[in-house]
Order: sequence, then C-alpha cells, then structure tokens
Amino acid sequence: MSDNHREHPTPKKYVQIAIFLGVLTAIEVALYYTEDIVGVFTDPLLIFLAIGKYIVVVGWFMHLRFENKMVNRFFAGGMILAVILFAIVMIERAAGDYLN
Amino acid sequence: MSGGHDYPHESTGVETRKLGMWVFLSTEILFFGTLITTFMIFKGRDFPGMKLTDVYDIPFTSVSSFVLLMSSLTMVLAHNALENEDQEKTRVWLLATAMLGSVFLAGQIYEFTEFYHKGFELSTNIFSSTFYVLTGFHGLHVFIGVVFLIGLWIIGQRQKGLSLDSGFNLEFIALYWHFVDIVWIVLFTVVYLI
Amino acid sequence: MTKIIEPDKQTNIFRRPSSEYGIWSWITTVDHKKIGIMYGYAAFFFLLIGGLEALVLRIQLAQPDNNFLSAAEYNAMFTMHGTTMVFLAIMPISAAFFNYLLPLQIGARDVAFPRLNALSFWIWVFGGLFLYSTFVFGTAGAPEGGYLAEEVGWLGNAPNGGWFGYQPNAGFKYSPGTAMDYWAIGLQILGISSLVSAFNFIVTILNMRTQGMRLMRMPVFTWMTFAVAFLLAFSLPIIAIALFYVTFDRQFGTTFFLTEGGGDPVLWQHLFWLFGHPEVYILILPAFGIVSEILPTFSRKPLFGYPAIVFAGFGIAFIGFGVWAHHMFASAISPVAQAGFGISTMIIAVPTGVKIFNWLGTIWGGKLNLKTPMLFALGFIGMFVIGGLSGVTHSVVPADTQQTDTYYIVAHFHYVLFGGAMFGIFAGLYYWFPKVWGKMYNETLGQIHFWTMLIGFNLTFGPMHWLGLQGQVRRTWVYAEETNLGFWNLIVSIGAFIIALSILIFMANWMYSKRKGEKAPFDPWDARTIEWTIPSPTPVWNFSKAPHVKALDDFWHAKYDEDEEGRAVRRDSADALLAQLEEEGLNPEEEIELPNPSYYPFVLSSGLPFLGYAVIYKSIPLALIGVVLILVGSFGWATEPLEEEFRSEEEE
Repeated sequence: MSDNHREHPTPKKYVQIAIFLGVLTAIEVALYYTEDIVGVFTDPLLIFLAIGKYIVVVGWFMHLRFENKMVNRFFAGGMILAVILFAIVMIERAAGDYLN
Repeated sequence: MSGGHDYPHESTGVETRKLGMWVFLSTEILFFGTLITTFMIFKGRDFPGMKLTDVYDIPFTSVSSFVLLMSSLTMVLAHNALENEDQEKTRVWLLATAMLGSVFLAGQIYEFTEFYHKGFELSTNIFSSTFYVLTGFHGLHVFIGVVFLIGLWIIGQRQKGLSLDSGFNLEFIALYWHFVDIVWIVLFTVVYLI
Repeated sequence: MTKIIEPDKQTNIFRRPSSEYGIWSWITTVDHKKIGIMYGYAAFFFLLIGGLEALVLRIQLAQPDNNFLSAAEYNAMFTMHGTTMVFLAIMPISAAFFNYLLPLQIGARDVAFPRLNALSFWIWVFGGLFLYSTFVFGTAGAPEGGYLAEEVGWLGNAPNGGWFGYQPNAGFKYSPGTAMDYWAIGLQILGISSLVSAFNFIVTILNMRTQGMRLMRMPVFTWMTFAVAFLLAFSLPIIAIALFYVTFDRQFGTTFFLTEGGGDPVLWQHLFWLFGHPEVYILILPAFGIVSEILPTFSRKPLFGYPAIVFAGFGIAFIGFGVWAHHMFASAISPVAQAGFGISTMIIAVPTGVKIFNWLGTIWGGKLNLKTPMLFALGFIGMFVIGGLSGVTHSVVPADTQQTDTYYIVAHFHYVLFGGAMFGIFAGLYYWFPKVWGKMYNETLGQIHFWTMLIGFNLTFGPMHWLGLQGQVRRTWVYAEETNLGFWNLIVSIGAFIIALSILIFMANWMYSKRKGEKAPFDPWDARTIEWTIPSPTPVWNFSKAPHVKALDDFWHAKYDEDEEGRAVRRDSADALLAQLEEEGLNPEEEIELPNPSYYPFVLSSGLPFLGYAVIYKSIPLALIGVVLILVGSFGWATEPLEEEFRSEEEE
C-alpha cells in the first residue's frame, strides 16, 4: 500500500507543524488589531495566511502530499472549480450593485 | 470490496473507501463555497439593522479557533499511533480530539447565545442570517465529527481494538476532521478577520 | 444453477435478510442489477405521471380561452411536470442504465459501495414519494391579489412556482401554503440520493476496473457516466445550499432571496442555474453514451474518433459549468456578464458538434442494420441537432431576450431533452432488453413505436417554435381567441396524445416480450463491449471470472480479424468462442462471494421524509421518528459487515 507513497512524518514533525500553524494564527489575530497600521495590505495578507494554513493542513495532516496523484487532482479540481465559479458569481453580483 | 480473489480491487492503487472519502470532501468544498459566497456578497452590502461585526469577540473566537486547530494535531497523532499499532495512545489522542472538538462546539454555542442576547436572531437581518447559517452548518459538521470520534473511541474499547482495515475507519474520520478544520481556517479569516 | 446459501447467524439489530424472491428480496437487495431494474420501473412510473400532467396541460391549451384547468391548477401541473420529468423520470432512468451497465462494462462484480447504491435508490424513492405526498397533505394557499383559495382544487395543491422556483415568487408571500416547501425539501432529498450515487460511480469507475481495462479502453457509455457523476458531484451541493436558503426563508423568516430584508433574488437564479445548467448535461450525456454504443454496433464499424468523443464529452461537462447565466439574460445581470456567457454558450456548441460529426462518421459507409435501437439512435441525432441549433440561437443575447419565456424555449428544450435524452433512453432500453431479460423484444411493435413517437413528437414540439416566435408566452394558462394561436395549439395537443399512444405501444411490447418473447442469444447484436460476453439474462455474479481486456472493443476483436484491405472478417474460432463463453458464464469455477442484502439502506432512507415533514409542520415527534430511523439505520449499517457467510454454491 505504501510502496508508492513517501513516508508519513513523525509525531515530532507533526508537533512542529502545529506550532507553525499556531504562530500563523497569532499573526492573523495580530493583523486584525493592527489594521490601522498595515492598511490596505491587511486583507491580502490575511487571505495569504489562510491559504498557507489550509495548504499545510491538507498537505501534511491529511497526507495529501503523500497521496496518489489522482486524489490530488480531484481535490485540487474541486477547489479550482469552486474558486472560479464563485468568483464569477461574486464579481457579477458586485458589478450588478454598482450598475444599479 | 466485492468479487472473487481474481479481481483487482483498486485500479488506482488508492484504497476504495479512502478514495470515496476524498471525492466526498471535494464536493464539500462546493457546499461551503456556496455558503461563503453568499456571505461575501451580503457582507459588502447595505442591510437594515445592527451590524453583527460590531459585537464580534475576536479574542474569544481566536482561542476557539486555536483549539480546533490543535484538535487536528491530536487527530493526526491518533492516526500516527494507530499506524504504529499503539492502541492505548490511539484511544488517548482520539478522546483528546473529541474533547477539543467539544470545547470548540461549546464555544460556538456560547457565542451564539451571546449574540442572541445582544439582539441578533436568525432573521434579524441578512447578515445575521448568513452568519448563523454559515457557521451553524460548520458547527453541524463538527458535531457529526465529534459523534464519529466518540463512536471510534467506543469501538476502540473492544478486545481487538481499532484497525485501519475496518469499514468505520479512523483514517476516513481523520480526513473528515481535518477537512472540518480547514473549513474553519477559511471561515475564521472570511467571517471574523476581514 | 447457482444458489446462494443464506447466512446462519446474525448479530446486530435485524437478522440478515435472506429472501431471494418476493418483495423483501427487492427491498433488501444490494445487487446493482436489481437496483438498476427497480430504478427503471420506478422512474418509468413517474414518467407516466409526468406525462399525464403534460396531457392535462395540453387539454387546457387545446383551444383558446379554455377553462378545463384553473390558473392555480395549471401552475401546479406545469411545475410538477417539469420537476417530475427532470428529477423523477430522466435522471433516474439514466441511473437505471448506470447501475445495470456500469459494472458490466468495466468487468466488475458490483459497484464500489453496494449498500450505498441501495441507499441512493431508496432515498430517491422516498424523496419522490415525499414530493408527491403534497397532493395529499400539502396546500397551495391563495396569495394576496392572486387566485382565490377555492380555485385551487385537488390538482392545485402542489408546488406551483415552476421547477426553477424563481424568487421571490416561490417565497412565502407569493406562494403561501406548504406546497413549495414540499418542493424545496423534496428536491433536497432527491439531491442527496444523486450525490451519493455520484460518489459511488466515480469511485467505481476509478477503482473497480478489471485487468487491462485502462481508462482509454472503457466503453463510451462508461465515460459519459463518469462525466455525469462529476457534474452531479460538483453541481448538486450548490442547489442543496440554495434550497436550504429557500426553506429558511419560508420557514424561519430569513430573507436570503427577498429584497425586504436585504436579500437578493438574482442570487437564487445564479445558484439555481449554477446547478441547473450542468443538470441539462446530466440529463443528456447518458443518452450520448448510449447512442455511442449503439451506432457502431449497428453500423458494424468502430466508433469514429473514440478519443475525440471522450474528450468532447468532458469538454461539454467542463464548459457546461461556465454557461449558466445564459438562463438569466432577461434578469438584471451586467452587460459584461451577458457578453461573456453568450460567448461561452456559443463555444459549448463546438464539442457538441464534434460528437455529432463523430456519430455521422461512424454511420458513414457502414452496413446499417435498422433495428429499433438503431432507429431511435438515428432519431436521436436528428432531433438533437434541431434542438441544439435552436439552442445556439439563444446565445445571441438580443435574440434571446425576445425568445425568453415563450414557447420557442419550450420547443428548444423538449427537442433536446425529449428528442435527445428520451430517444437515447428508448434506444438503450431496446438495445439492452435482451441482456436484462434474456428475451427478445418484438421488432415490429418496436418499429411502430419509433415511428408513432417520432411523428407525435414533431407534431407536438415542432409547431411550438413558431407559436413562440408569434409571441405565445409559456407558463400561462390561457390565450385569447384573437391571437390566432388556436390552430397550432390544437395540433400540438393532438401530437401529445400521439406520443401517449406510442408510449402505450412501448409498454405493451415490453410486457408481452418480457414474458413471451423469443429467447435471446447472449450476443444478439454481434456487439463490441464486454457486457455481451456473459449470458442473458445476466447471472447474479456477472462474470464467472474477471475478464482480461486487451483492447478497446475487446469483444469485437475476439470475434473479428482484419483482412489486408482493413475489412472485418469473422474469425473461424468466433462461434466456438461464443459457445465457450456461454458455458463458462453459467458455470463459475470458483466460489463467488457477493455482497449481502441488507435492511439498513431502506431503514435509513425512510427517516428522511419524516425529517422533511418535521421541518414543514415544526413537529418535534416527527423529527424524533426521523432521527431514530436514521440512527437505527446507520448503527446497523456500521456494525454489519458487507459480506459474511455468503457463498455461491453449485447446484445441478
């Protein structure tokens, strides 16, 4: 079963990853309170951090990095499709508002 | 799963049920995607009544987000322990995950109650509706996850313990649990911070 | 014959079911073939109901200023006609084909999750019954300023906001009563069913293929099933959430789609059509697959451009996600969006055209064998081309704003979904009839069925094109005499009854042939794919041993060789091969383990309607009944192994 997989990480590695995730969360909360200083960069930074956390959990905790590429493609496909479709809906609705 | 011994069971090499779980999670993205899209659309609009954003308790939500994040760690440790066939540790980490999940749920119930007392009902305005439905839908997922975890823990009490081969399997529950966690990673940013 | 030994012990809630005959064997079965047959019959039953609803509508419209139906009844009938045909007739008939054929075509013994398969069937049944229980329990109410309560009548106590449920018309203010709640929750339940079966089929195709069945050796029908499963898996969640919103709006006072509270009715249209347009391809792609199987067999040529057909199928599925807003050109969407979606709608005609040319290329120069399945397949191509071309005219936004909500649109989508999907489905029903029942259908009756249906169909939907262009609006219960629309409406109504007649011929043929038809050889059509290498009717264990596939159209290559000029020449060994296959197919050498029947899918799914009623009537006891049934079902399921003491045993 595991012959085509890379080895899963060790518990120590998992704890390190969790600490990393915790730090990212702390930065996120800090950004919320420093919005006046960071300004327009706050939201992009927050999104960037969320994506980072997302990738770390999916890749390491859910072992997607170590999984068959079929699974990878499927999950990524669902993700990309959702992002594109919903981006169009959001932009269209926002544009509709603007025009009205 | 079915069929004689001459049958190749997994043409892709991925265990059939695990593949099923991944397909399920891929579609869950669309469920939450729809909810988040609705939330984003209405967040940017004018709506009658009070703003829920004014009563957010960010420190509190940050802590409960952190709790849910750490439950992913305990979950992966349980999985790791089971891979090393350490039943004792598996059960401990499972229970820890279920506890952390329950703490998160308790926090959400507290938060909902607070908002309710401050005058935000489900139908107060479009913002509170989307907020409750979105976070409530996630909370429902966490609740189902906790039930699964406790179910696994109970099965783990049996003589032969848990195994990674059985139908109701720690690996799939773990995938589900992590997924619920990543959804919250997105929700925490989208709903509370931005 | 082979018999299955019943289990001798059972440890969880119920004893393991062991009936092999009678109603319990059907309720507890997890066999993909039995489930497929049940899907077929149940869906055909709903097809008849949906057809009756259409006939009622056509009686009303047969002459101007008619009062056969009240406005309220008319609204309910067209809503139920659309909802029934989409969710309770065409989708499940396609599911019947998926279930029965998919494992056979990839050489598997069953689907990946046999009990989930039974679950999706039973959820679908209960969802359909729930939706139709509106006629017994539901009320349509009388909206302010609308028709009066006494005009509603028995027929009118059904969902009446259209199958698309546009908001705010389908909201509580304009659709009071409970009928639209039955619609929203009924579709929710039906959606769960389709979602579950989509997971099942995706995993089955990815993981259950027999040796040598590489992806690019799979029959086209299997490929189209795959595409449909993707569409279902990624589009149903969207409508599920949207229906949640509708239910919340109607039951709990939220305003997701109501402007009063800051909601957005156009958002409903987006979410509905984000699902609804892929849904169109969910309805038509199975027919594409069926026809792609039939044309090569009856033209005695390989399918022209197999990879092109496969990729075009996926192209359609993929682009099908990007065209939804062409249903909304008349709604308040921005001009940029209108232009973009107009272009993407034109683009989707390209992969569809690729398929048409592939089919024509397949027929070209072939030795055509005009049996009933082939007639229906050819009819499919003709009718679908007409429907497709009128569809492209909608992509031109200014033209579309003229056509929207007229009978032109009705004509278009019936050419696609009836002339396309239903003709394809009938082709498939005739084609695989011998495989399922082991009997031949009556060819003469089959041909009569085809010609009456073709004539009736064109009489019904052809004139709708010009009725629409003359300005007759759809979803309206009367038209005035002065509009001069009466003549063609009468023709349309006559056509509808000719279609009904053709369906009766089909049913007579089916019932007669199933009992008294000639015994079918196991390869009656000299076919190409591996489901024809096993006896007819299919034995419970499908394949006695796992087939080893060496090429696309493996069975054909086993029977035929090529001479120097590339013509197919039947091998001398072909007859011996067929005899050997029949012998092997009926007598498996080793013991075969099959998944066991189970009560739990039925129990679990029976809880869902109770939850639905509980939401509508805000009743805690009903909710408890539903939850208990679901818990009993899931607990029993989780503790019951898929297969245990079962073995198949050789007898005489």
